[in-house]
Amino acid sequence: MTTRDRHSGAGRGDILLGLVGAFLLYELWASGFFTAAAWADFNRRFYQNFVKDDRYMMLVDGLKSTIFMTSGATVIGLIVGLILSVIRVAHKGGVHIPVLNKLAETYITVLRGTPAMVQLLIWNFTIFASARDLNTQYIAILAFGLNSGAYVAEIFRGGIESIDPGQMEAARSLGLTYGSSMSHVILPQALRNVVPMLFNEFIALLKETSIAGYIGIDDLTRAGQNIQALTLEHSQPLVMVAIIYLVIVLCLTHLVRKLEEWLSRGRRG
Amino acid sequence: MKKFLALLFVLTLCTSAFCADGEKLTSPAQLKTERLAAQRGTVGQYIAEDLLGDKKATLLTTYEKYVDAIAALRQGKIRAVIMDEMPAKRFVSEVEGLAIMDEALSEENYAIGFRKGNTELVEAVNKALAELKSDGTMAAIFAKYLDGDYSAVKPEDIDLNKGASGGKLYVGTEAGFAPYELRVGSGFIGIDIEMCAAIAKKLGRELVIENMNFDALPMAVSTNKVDMICAGITVTDERKENMDFSENYVVGAKQVAVVRADDYER
Repeated sequence: MTTRDRHSGAGRGDILLGLVGAFLLYELWASGFFTAAAWADFNRRFYQNFVKDDRYMMLVDGLKSTIFMTSGATVIGLIVGLILSVIRVAHKGGVHIPVLNKLAETYITVLRGTPAMVQLLIWNFTIFASARDLNTQYIAILAFGLNSGAYVAEIFRGGIESIDPGQMEAARSLGLTYGSSMSHVILPQALRNVVPMLFNEFIALLKETSIAGYIGIDDLTRAGQNIQALTLEHSQPLVMVAIIYLVIVLCLTHLVRKLEEWLSRGRRG
Repeated sequence: MKKFLALLFVLTLCTSAFCADGEKLTSPAQLKTERLAAQRGTVGQYIAEDLLGDKKATLLTTYEKYVDAIAALRQGKIRAVIMDEMPAKRFVSEVEGLAIMDEALSEENYAIGFRKGNTELVEAVNKALAELKSDGTMAAIFAKYLDGDYSAVKPEDIDLNKGASGGKLYVGTEAGFAPYELRVGSGFIGIDIEMCAAIAKKLGRELVIENMNFDALPMAVSTNKVDMICAGITVTDERKENMDFSENYVVGAKQVAVVRADDYER
């Protein structure tokens, strides 16, 4: 075990413990002092926010929606990102596709240059204004997926460009076409390089879906707000929502680390 | 780890720091120079803007949700929240340390909003509303909610007229405005919801509720995303320019200032 591993392992546990502890401390502090009455009040509010009438189910349903949107957008983002990056790299590599390249460039500029929130509103209220029977979640998946695609494209492009040009030259000189050199030689190596960055992009995406409430989707964040409106209690539902996001993100981060280790194991040198 | 906790503690202290003002509030006239809050896009916001005049840029904070505005009030970030009396009463009864100023700021009428020019639906809804008023349905709906305790009302008891032959009636609302609309579990309850359900039945259509933020409602109805919006919406001349309204279904709903009880002297 390297120093870095040991350090990061301990860090995760500490942060999680610290946050749960801070949540409890803050709640106690906010409800007065560290007294029995305060504990009772905390418990009463906890019961009201999450237990009564199975209100935790609102959070569970919200979480399902958040995960559904994130997964869907991830798939779209990967496909769109891969296509865009290949277009841009191929153009640079001498394949003559100026119109496609310009389109891809414009797409990336526009979608990275405008806030995801504004894009979401435009998708829902302008482009899909008349699609009322369509589940709003699909519109959100499309909006988040296409937005993410622009970022993924840049990640992929960076990955592809990080591969030594000699690889492409070698493949071409062995008689492979540009297309098969790209798909059989360059992309597999590039993918391995960009996996950690892709995962970070999807972690960011997960958090970004928290704006979906604006177009009427009861995602995890909105579910917390719905509980707030129901119980008129401010802090607990929000802090609970934050903890749920954090736990998911920590799990995903852990997964990326494992994946990184696994990928680098097969690498020489 | 210790540093981290210490930092959190200091941050919590800073954000919740309570700055007590010397003089207590006695009448809404004093609010002209105070930090105020309202829900974004509501009449409460317009009233606060009128009160503050030029100072609105520095003194007015608008929040997406009432709960946030009330939290800011309790933390001393603002001195009063301008809002409708009915939801204000619920806050005062459920949350400790709040009071409503006796003197109301204005009186408003609520109506259902439609896309400009959608005369056909406005007329159909007005006809339905008139019928509901005369046959006592409206009075019964109000009676059900106005005593303040509607914990027994369940979303599944409200008949949304599922599978109606006339198609769907999409209604936009912001379900954080009890007793008019509130999300409970995966459904909705409230005066507006039950009224819309009754209207949908009269029109022979199925009611579909779209829950969104209040300031997104005008956009939703003008782009035809929903057929009508019903969320305790006050009729104002400015809104009439961009939206058509039904007949009023609530007359004389008061706009009040919610303040901290210990900051208010009657």
